[in-house]
Amino acid sequence: MSGSTTSVSAFCAVTPIGRALLLLAAALLTACANQVEVKGQFPTPVLDRLPLKIGVYYDPEFRAHEFFDEADSREETDWIVRTGQAQVEMYNTLLPGMFDQVVLLNELPRDDRVDTVIDEDLDAVLVPHVQELQYSIPNHTKINVFEIWMRYRYELYAPDGELLAEWSMTSYGKTPTAFLQTAEAAVNMAAVVALRDAGANFAMNFARVPEVRTWMDELRQARSGTTIPDLGAASPEEDTL
Amino acid sequence: MTSKTAATLLALGLLQGCVTSTVDEVLYQGPEAEDLVGDASIVIMGRRHASDYETEPDFIQCVGKHIQRRDETITVMSELEFMNQLYPWFEPRTAPLRPADIKRMMDVPPVRDKLAELNTEYMVWIDGETVRTGGAGSMTCGIGPGGAGCFGFGTWGNDSNYEATIWDFTDQEEVGRMSTQASGQSYMPAVVVPIPIIAPVQGTACDGLGDQLLEFFSAEY
Repeated sequence: MSGSTTSVSAFCAVTPIGRALLLLAAALLTACANQVEVKGQFPTPVLDRLPLKIGVYYDPEFRAHEFFDEADSREETDWIVRTGQAQVEMYNTLLPGMFDQVVLLNELPRDDRVDTVIDEDLDAVLVPHVQELQYSIPNHTKINVFEIWMRYRYELYAPDGELLAEWSMTSYGKTPTAFLQTAEAAVNMAAVVALRDAGANFAMNFARVPEVRTWMDELRQARSGTTIPDLGAASPEEDTL
Repeated sequence: MTSKTAATLLALGLLQGCVTSTVDEVLYQGPEAEDLVGDASIVIMGRRHASDYETEPDFIQCVGKHIQRRDETITVMSELEFMNQLYPWFEPRTAPLRPADIKRMMDVPPVRDKLAELNTEYMVWIDGETVRTGGAGSMTCGIGPGGAGCFGFGTWGNDSNYEATIWDFTDQEEVGRMSTQASGQSYMPAVVVPIPIIAPVQGTACDGLGDQLLEFFSAEY
């Protein structure tokens, strides 16, 4: 804390020309970093939609998610990989293929504030978070292998803010070859593969999360007569719910 | 001098062809010729569920192109297009590992409808990889006022090992299995200019597997 105060004071003390030079140096340093804004096409899932109306809330951190890798030596370069926009696009494509209705929300329901019931027609509100991210980029591997591993944490809330379920899922992406493409393109490809994998994992295993399964059973009983199929019904590993 | 040069070039050309390849085939039930000459298509997919290796997408493309180049009546659907059309059922973590898994997949109406729309009759799973088996030698390069050049010799080997499994979507069973192994040694002599003499190991494996698949699918082979 004291360190940051000192640096601000020092910055204010320099002359306008010196300040301009400092800003220019900072800009040049940023320009030297490899920057990747992850972009990709995410396919619409082919699934039996669950008869649910789900709200989804992406918090600002999730929307602007990025990771920064600082170079260890002068021979290496910094990396900034921005995944936020791409992962929002992925979930915006995935979720309407999983649920009958998906509503994008601007705020999170809170159970300590009665007046924040978002929409009484909603069955639940989903909130995804990036819990952890690991990667290997050329600086680390010295070979043309780019890997990204992510752990997502999901929260499922009732419209009144009660937490119904909370669970984690991992995803992994790798570019097997970097022939005829830049390192930035290969990192982008690894990130897109990881996001696809995240979507596949979520779609196939959502209904298998024990708390979600319990909630869906209760919802099924409450609706008495409405059938809520299991998204993972036809998956290789498990039988129907 | 000219004859020596020609002999050297000939020797280099012969070295380039030094790849040994073996193809094994187990065929359970070949398709009738008319089965594939219609509108039906096949899809060739790479196995990527193992943690320590992935079947190269380049190799999958190579086999697909090999088949289509030799028999234009066979429609080979691109791997990525197929995965996109049936997302998320054929991703590395979700892809079926046994033909019996197709039946469960078919229980999901949208998947069944999509497969019918794509009219995919056969699916070929290719599992394997090409690895570098070691290297030897050294090379030094330098640059000076008079020019630049390299001197030395390097060599390395490559081994390809792939297995193809053919699934029949209609009968939901495995109908054929074949494998190919290829190995070769590449060389890089350098006297001023490095001359790469690359053994086309993966290409040979691609041709070997492609030819076997053509014998299975094509009425012309």
